[in-house]
Amino acid sequence: MSTKAEFLARIREQVRRAPARFAAETARRPQHPAAEAESIRRELAERWPETLDVFRREFEGVAGVFHRVASIDMVPDAVARIAREREARGLVAWHAAALGADLGPALGARGLDVHQMPATEPTSDVERQRLRSIAARVDLGLTGVDLAVAETGTLVLVSGAGRPRSTSLLPPCHIAVFDRTALLESLRQVGVFLEAWHADPASARGGAINFITGPSRTADIELTLTRGVHGPKEVHAIFVEQPFRG
Amino acid sequence: MSTGDLATPFRQRAGGAMQDAFLQEALTIATTKFIGLRREAFAGFPDGEALRDQARAIKEATLQQLDHHLETLIANVERLGGRVHYAATPAEARAIIVDIARASGARMAVKSKSMATEEIHLNEALEAAGITPVETDLGEYIIQLAHERPSHIIAPAIHKTKGQVAELFTRELKRPAEPDPEALTRIARAELREKFLQADIGITGANFAVADTGTIVLVTNEGNGRMVTSLPRVHVAVMGVEKVVPSMSDLMVFLAILAKSATGQKLSVYTSLVQGPRRGGELEGPEEFHLVLLDGGRIAQIDGPLREALSCLRCGACLNVCPVYRQIGGHAYGYTYPGPIGILLTAMMEGTEAVRDLAHASSLCGACADACPVRIDIPRMLIELRREVDERKIAPWPERVVFALLARLLQRPRLYRLAARAGRLLQRPFVAGGRIGRVPLFFGEWTRTRDLPAVAARTFQERWATDRELRG
Repeated sequence: MSTKAEFLARIREQVRRAPARFAAETARRPQHPAAEAESIRRELAERWPETLDVFRREFEGVAGVFHRVASIDMVPDAVARIAREREARGLVAWHAAALGADLGPALGARGLDVHQMPATEPTSDVERQRLRSIAARVDLGLTGVDLAVAETGTLVLVSGAGRPRSTSLLPPCHIAVFDRTALLESLRQVGVFLEAWHADPASARGGAINFITGPSRTADIELTLTRGVHGPKEVHAIFVEQPFRG
Repeated sequence: MSTGDLATPFRQRAGGAMQDAFLQEALTIATTKFIGLRREAFAGFPDGEALRDQARAIKEATLQQLDHHLETLIANVERLGGRVHYAATPAEARAIIVDIARASGARMAVKSKSMATEEIHLNEALEAAGITPVETDLGEYIIQLAHERPSHIIAPAIHKTKGQVAELFTRELKRPAEPDPEALTRIARAELREKFLQADIGITGANFAVADTGTIVLVTNEGNGRMVTSLPRVHVAVMGVEKVVPSMSDLMVFLAILAKSATGQKLSVYTSLVQGPRRGGELEGPEEFHLVLLDGGRIAQIDGPLREALSCLRCGACLNVCPVYRQIGGHAYGYTYPGPIGILLTAMMEGTEAVRDLAHASSLCGACADACPVRIDIPRMLIELRREVDERKIAPWPERVVFALLARLLQRPRLYRLAARAGRLLQRPFVAGGRIGRVPLFFGEWTRTRDLPAVAARTFQERWATDRELRG
């Protein structure tokens, strides 16, 4: 087996010998990523309606279903409608703290069978398996959104305590709830936020950051577009006009 | 019929592919569609050209300090609790992964589509160790059931009809399947869902790795990449050393052009940034994370003639536009990586001898260089490979004799004029309509698939000497 030392030594030797092919630079990085992210947010607070229009167009362009409600109180009705149309009852949801609102009781009152994921790590593997099997069984997964990217119609979800990766992956229908504070215009801006999130290595972001651009799809059989291969067949984004996230 | 068997010469493999009527049609439809989608994606994206230049510059800048960026990556993966392994050869990579799988007591491994694991022939090694590898990308799953290899970097099963897939599912999965892509996809979803939940170990490649944060980036449309990195207890990622990018800011430049070049999407459905094992508080994510850094001929090219090919993103755009690929498909190339870039990667991984014939499987039209998101000058390197094949006397001897004679002739004007006159006499029995359809003896190879233009009744030199109007 190769050792780290000899492996890297061979690379170092090659790099030392190789002439640069042309003067080249890596991408410009924000010098103060947190401050730059904050200033992007501030600017967008002024022009979020335009950004939302672009997001909606792009999200629908990748077969996402867009909903708009006035306040967080109206989300349970929207979710219940989606459930009814699919004759679905079982729903797995991010923890209220991760979602930014406790929708459990209201959803339950509308006939949904709600499974809220815990805010802390399960203490046993048995419990872990039980929670996972719920996500694998139910039809609906309800999550928040960390960033909604207009340029590509993309939802960015960061994993962590109370925000499992499986909620947006295993159920055939994913419903994501967000407000204007999540909106970004471009992938470049996403880069600034990713830099900001990682600027402090001690800050505990989750082990996975997922960019979700529409429902799961494949064209592997005769290039026929088919949705819902492994991930959800449907992705719904519910935009809440009145900001609800802290 | 598999045309990818290396025991048959390239010419026969290519010939077989060209006789395959279905393959011909499938290739035309698929590549034409991909070309159109890519063109539309960039047409609606004014920043595209500038971003391609920038992506290329980032790759070059990264190579100039590859040692530094890899050390940063390693330090960050380890900081997050992952382990890094070093494989000089495919055999070493296989041994490392089999060891990891054995140590974790794994009996089944779920895999997300990865050209690197194809390159190291991982599945055979896992099977030999009693671990069942399951490909989970639908296209890869189909060809695994059929015991074949991918025919396209991003659409591995384009050579199969829905009828063939239905027969395959009925036979291999013991459940009746209709030749309908929707129904077939549903069957695969159900079959593979069980495997995702049961598997002990998940194996992936890496589209990128971000040094600054220790992040592995996987791009998929189906969601299998997310499953494989979230559900099993152990995650192993295998990546060529050239896949590292310095920062998240660099990553975003590549993400903005990768999917557009591959499938014409603005982004693929899922871009997953995974960093280390599961963190405290998380419900899912692996307990163990392993990163296998693979050399496999890459390191020697940092200062080698194929350096530019180390910038390849594996998007498949050069395959779709290549007139040779469009005729013969991926299997005829005979190695893991098909198409124009595949010839260079094969030379990198297997040595120049392996591409003795393949180096000529290009019309040098340059369409690949135009399509490449990072503007790799593939034709230039193919020409250099041809020269190396000739200089190292790897080429067949009649070819070398002819080119040696031609070189002498071209350097001696008198001899050249004499040869032109001699040629005019000697060619008479073979000329039809100004072209020579067949040359005698072993030189016949040249005219096997193309005509040779006849020596003109009056050569340019002769006309130049006498025709006033030619000289103005």
